Amino acid sequence: MSTTEKTIVISRFDPDKDEAPYTQEYQVPCDPSWKVLDAVNFIKDELDATVSHRWSCRMAVCGSCGMMVNGEPKLTCKTALDEYGDRVEIEPLANFPVVRDLVVELDGFMHKFESVKPWIKRVKERAEDMENFNEKGTYSQSAEELGRFKQFSMCINCMLCYAACPVVANEPEFLGPAAIALGHRYNLDTRDEGTEERHEIFRGEGTVFSCSYANECSEVCPKGVDPAAAVNQAKFGAVIDWAKGLVLPRAPHAAD
Amino acid sequence: MAGPAHPEAMAPPKPGRTRTAPPQMPSTWWSSPRIRTYLLFDATGIIYFLVGFLAIKIVGQLGAGPIAWQAQMKALENPIYILFHVVALASVIFVAVRFFRLFPKAQPPAIGPAKPPPGPVIHAGLYVLWIGLTLVVSLALAGVIF
Amino acid sequence: MRTLLLKLEPIIWFMFGQGIMIGTMLMTGWILVIGILMPLGIVDPMNLNYVRAQELFTASVLGIPIAQLLLAALLVLPLWKGAHHVRSLLVDLGGGERDPLVGTVLYLIAIVGSVMGIGAVAGI
Repeated sequence: MSTTEKTIVISRFDPDKDEAPYTQEYQVPCDPSWKVLDAVNFIKDELDATVSHRWSCRMAVCGSCGMMVNGEPKLTCKTALDEYGDRVEIEPLANFPVVRDLVVELDGFMHKFESVKPWIKRVKERAEDMENFNEKGTYSQSAEELGRFKQFSMCINCMLCYAACPVVANEPEFLGPAAIALGHRYNLDTRDEGTEERHEIFRGEGTVFSCSYANECSEVCPKGVDPAAAVNQAKFGAVIDWAKGLVLPRAPHAAD
Repeated sequence: MAGPAHPEAMAPPKPGRTRTAPPQMPSTWWSSPRIRTYLLFDATGIIYFLVGFLAIKIVGQLGAGPIAWQAQMKALENPIYILFHVVALASVIFVAVRFFRLFPKAQPPAIGPAKPPPGPVIHAGLYVLWIGLTLVVSLALAGVIF
Repeated sequence: MRTLLLKLEPIIWFMFGQGIMIGTMLMTGWILVIGILMPLGIVDPMNLNYVRAQELFTASVLGIPIAQLLLAALLVLPLWKGAHHVRSLLVDLGGGERDPLVGTVLYLIAIVGSVMGIGAVAGI
């Protein structure tokens, strides 16, 4: 197999030495079967060991290798280098603060993620809730019930959707596609009783209503989660709960 | 990169141990056709404002009497108004097409015990409703019905 | 202001949703006939002369002023779509966060317009 030489342009930034990010070019002999990640790994292995980037599984399930390739958010382990011409520009994920080179700060996302309470919430403590469990001591859930939220549970937290979302770029408080999709996944789960509480969070500071339905998140999602559908379903659910809250007294919140 | 994003976009709740470079927008942001379509979609909001306020003025002239109404209908023959309405028509069609594509997937999987119809059914149904209402409104205004 | 806006977001979004759906569906015919076909003479504008316009827009069915309700929807709902999307556009273009002042001003315009619209319909 013959290799083609491509110019790979990497965004560099060392917080100890550099004022601002700058670009550095590398000439890389690319095998036709390579993904973008292979080129970056080649650079680190053979050309410049100081380049920092995140990657792990190489098969689009861990969500670590998200980067901007020619301005579009991609999973670099899944993106063929052949799709691009002689010059490929690789930058860290958009809309995130950059820690170093191609590595972005994830704590902001983790904070938003946790704030939607992404776990099964029950109103009662388990000991008082036993009649809701089957004889094996577990919840029963039909395949149809699983089907309602399964799509939204496929998120690998790669954050390409955050890089693509125009509201994330401008609205620091916005919860963002993946966090809302995950909250919605639990709202749709029949085992969970925390829907009203999550809808209150959705109407709070991180308001889902900031979403302008650009649909960019779903366009870039590598796992077909369709976060735009989740966010907009969540808007509808949050409005219904808000309206109900105006007329009916509020039920006690599920136990944390 | 296409330019800076909000300086606090995706900021961590506590500052990290090292300096970070500020968040940037994707470099192809403004030139991407999909983004431009989305921005155009938002821009139709201006058209909706204008066409709405113009319609309010028109109906207001009806309340002002037959001479005012006649004058208003005549005034609408000005080519600027006609051109504006052509742009407005293009806008509502553009909004309808994009919205009808996006609306079906925003339906919750179940509303109480009822399940909404499948996506393609809703999509087609919206077009039917739109064309139906447009026909009724058009024929009513044109004097063919009612 | 920000907290007030956040509290009212659900109803604002709901009005926006109706504006984009019902507003668009009703507006298409209005723009087509009153804005284009009648001024161009393709449809005789005398079909909507004062007498007929009065009759049409005050028509009621079983005591319900259905024409005025539809007309009010046609006048009011597009304003809410407009306000919400202009706010969104300003965020997209300006690269700044959703300033509560901008939102408040735009929704106030929508409210004023809604009142004017209902007033215009009631005054037919």
